[in-house]
Amino acid sequence: MIEIRSLSHTYSGASSPALVDVDLRIEDGEYLAVAGANGSGKSTLIRCLNGLVVPPAGAVAVDGLDPSRPEERRSIRRILALVFQNPPDQIVASVVEEDTAFGLENLGVPRAEMVERVRAALEEMGLARESASPTRFLSAGQQQRLAVAGALVLGPKHLAFDEATSMIDPAGRSEILDRMDALAASGATVIHVTHDMDEAARARRVVVLSEGRVAFDGTPEELFRRGNLAALGLAPPRSWSLARALGLPPVVGERPGDLGRRAARALRDGMRPEPLDPEPAIPPGPDRPAGADPERESPPLVSGSEVSAFRADRAGLSYLSGTPQERRALTDIDLGIPRGGRVALVGATGSGKSSLLQLLSALAFPQKGRVLSFGIDTSDPKTDLRALRMRTPLSVQRPESALFEYYAGDEVSFGPRNQGLSGSALVARVRSALEAVGLPFDEFRDRPVRSLSGGQKRRLALASVLAMEPEALLLDEPGSALDPVSRERLMGLVYSYGRKGGTVVFATHSMEEAARADLVVVLAEGRLRAAETPAYIFGAGWDPSWGLARPFGARAAEGAREAGLVLPEGIVDEAGLIRALADLGRGAPSRASAGLPASRTAGEAGA
Amino acid sequence: MKNIEFLRNVSIGMYVEGDSPVHRLSPAAKYLWLLALILPASFSGSAPVVGILAAACLGFALLARIRPRTLLRGFLPVLPLVGLAAFLQVVFTWPQDRSAVLLAAGPVSLTVREVLAVLAMALRFATLMLALGLFTSVITEGDTARGVEDLFAPLERFGFPARGLGLTVAVAFRFIPIVAGELEAIVKAQAARGADLGSRKGGPIRKARAYLPLLVPVTIRALERAEALAEAMEARGWSSGPRTRYAVSGGGRWDVPVKLGALAFAAAALWAGAVFR
Repeated sequence: MIEIRSLSHTYSGASSPALVDVDLRIEDGEYLAVAGANGSGKSTLIRCLNGLVVPPAGAVAVDGLDPSRPEERRSIRRILALVFQNPPDQIVASVVEEDTAFGLENLGVPRAEMVERVRAALEEMGLARESASPTRFLSAGQQQRLAVAGALVLGPKHLAFDEATSMIDPAGRSEILDRMDALAASGATVIHVTHDMDEAARARRVVVLSEGRVAFDGTPEELFRRGNLAALGLAPPRSWSLARALGLPPVVGERPGDLGRRAARALRDGMRPEPLDPEPAIPPGPDRPAGADPERESPPLVSGSEVSAFRADRAGLSYLSGTPQERRALTDIDLGIPRGGRVALVGATGSGKSSLLQLLSALAFPQKGRVLSFGIDTSDPKTDLRALRMRTPLSVQRPESALFEYYAGDEVSFGPRNQGLSGSALVARVRSALEAVGLPFDEFRDRPVRSLSGGQKRRLALASVLAMEPEALLLDEPGSALDPVSRERLMGLVYSYGRKGGTVVFATHSMEEAARADLVVVLAEGRLRAAETPAYIFGAGWDPSWGLARPFGARAAEGAREAGLVLPEGIVDEAGLIRALADLGRGAPSRASAGLPASRTAGEAGA
Repeated sequence: MKNIEFLRNVSIGMYVEGDSPVHRLSPAAKYLWLLALILPASFSGSAPVVGILAAACLGFALLARIRPRTLLRGFLPVLPLVGLAAFLQVVFTWPQDRSAVLLAAGPVSLTVREVLAVLAMALRFATLMLALGLFTSVITEGDTARGVEDLFAPLERFGFPARGLGLTVAVAFRFIPIVAGELEAIVKAQAARGADLGSRKGGPIRKARAYLPLLVPVTIRALERAEALAEAMEARGWSSGPRTRYAVSGGGRWDVPVKLGALAFAAAALWAGAVFR
């Protein structure tokens, strides 16, 4: 049992406390989610449990042991294991099995026993075949499973996962989540730190932290019923919001297909959904359209060099080419990206999304074929690379880690100054870029970058490229690892830039974000598998071999179709589904022939 | 067009998979032989002794079934340096050089002694490169760290932290690609905003200055990554008491004679190098 009594903690040098008066009691075998916005104190709380952050004496007891005492801290680490956010940062050894054995070595377990336990742990995490492989050849998902194996091998009673799913792709993520469920079912205490409510809904209890305090403690259902999650930096699960929008009783952890089937039955029973979403899944950003906006004219998806923003002709890219470690990143990419298009790049980790973005931004150059950026060949020795890159800047993954100026204003002015701006023109640029991302110029220009929150830093990084007034934005996973409110806010900014006529190309693991783009580019193992509208990619053109999952709305629509509804093709999001259901509901007379099945049994069979 | 790739310049992980008597040596034995070859090659003034050391390197390469050509590839980047050293040898005359003059052009003359000195220097360089190249080709990343630990293990009874030293080496190896990756990301982030990096213009000073703003973010990121790794290690019970070891060093029953052989070889080569000048 884990007991926390009025735990407070302030990091040295910090102006506000990370944790304030936290009281918590976690029984053995509980499945608990700890939720909250970025910076709410979740990670600090978890680190207090095993003494990575030393709590005040007497504030924390893990099975009666106090992590503030070094001797007892060691014992706690035998019974409470931690899995962290970033997979590669948890790997110590260069070979898989040796890495798994690290914890056992530290505990002084005899070798024969280690071999046995390492084998079992790797087997359990599906890494038995990789046991003698070098760790750096593992994918991010495999690396995270290795981290879990390294924790499991200790045979801990309690396991804590600190946003352990936030930096891996959806396939890797669901493997880890399934493992957590299984561990909880087997009787271990599982503590899952997350700001994703779909993930938190899998737990039996949710504790929400806000500014270091416990803001909520109860079941997921109670949390979602309470509403106003946005104030906590969170958003309700998609199934919950959609069910509410459809006027159906929401069910915690409902799968999209089941919800679609339920909606079909309800429609038959007389439900009449309104074509609005009363409580959107995520609160709207400054100017976010309600779902995809069908009125917006799609740009012509043609790829003649006069109209394209970017064009790749049989482009191929290898890393470390000419060395024994050569790795093919992209092969034969043929792609045209129209001006003014909002383009989503999707694909598993390692599929080549980042590499493609670097080719487009002239930060990498194809060894084969060519890449044109607004008609200019990036490999042409006469090309002015600096100017070209500033026309189409790339914002790298976790761009906040590349910020280097002390003051926010200086950070934003770096780009425009390199473009030759100075004086009032420069100030005007910086002002409008900061204001555009919701960081008022007068308030933020003299703020040290360090003092900004994670979400603010990410927006500052966006401002620093917007300030160059680029013709195109290239963004590598712009919303990753942000809490839902910050993420939606950032994506809202990205889309609003796109709506003003700019070209936006962004990589994402979120199919829901991709569904809002004009064009979705699917990459798998360095090859272009498809480049089409979301309606086609997630509808008629869907190919399971891409290793992706369809967006929630598309899966819910599929469930409704399975239950016998005849829905139009190309529903990719919740708003589209609600509209389609409302149309069906309004067209009541024709519904027996067009929309709804004549017999009730067809629907039941589908459900 | 060159791509921005810092990992390209990281020559770790040059390990060539193989199963030869050399590959099967224990990591500590590999270290001892490396030292037995490079120490005399560095200090010996005798060309024949260096020649014997070079021959020994080739012998090991043969035994390890690694082509000497692959090993000498690492030699290419330092060739200009060797060329410069050779040039200096020729331009400046040796005091009391009374050997025959082979070529003379104005004040510069090429004597037999100078030719021999240049050849000896090239031989010494080649020997060092061969030995190092061979070592990195037959030792895995993990063994590089374990070898250090094993070498210093006898000192553990006097309180020397051999285990910690080994782990430090291992973590250092883990960090080379991490820091290279972070550097690459930050260079790209700044180049995207017009920093003068990876473009074609500018002299070396302008290029060096462009890299200055990278120091702060790269250092911070490296420290953040180090802290994350340290946390992960601590959470898994690092430094909690006496440890055991999962990986075995191998070496078999020939391990001790091979190690003693390395020591004897080193002693003999150093002695010969000092005696036959």
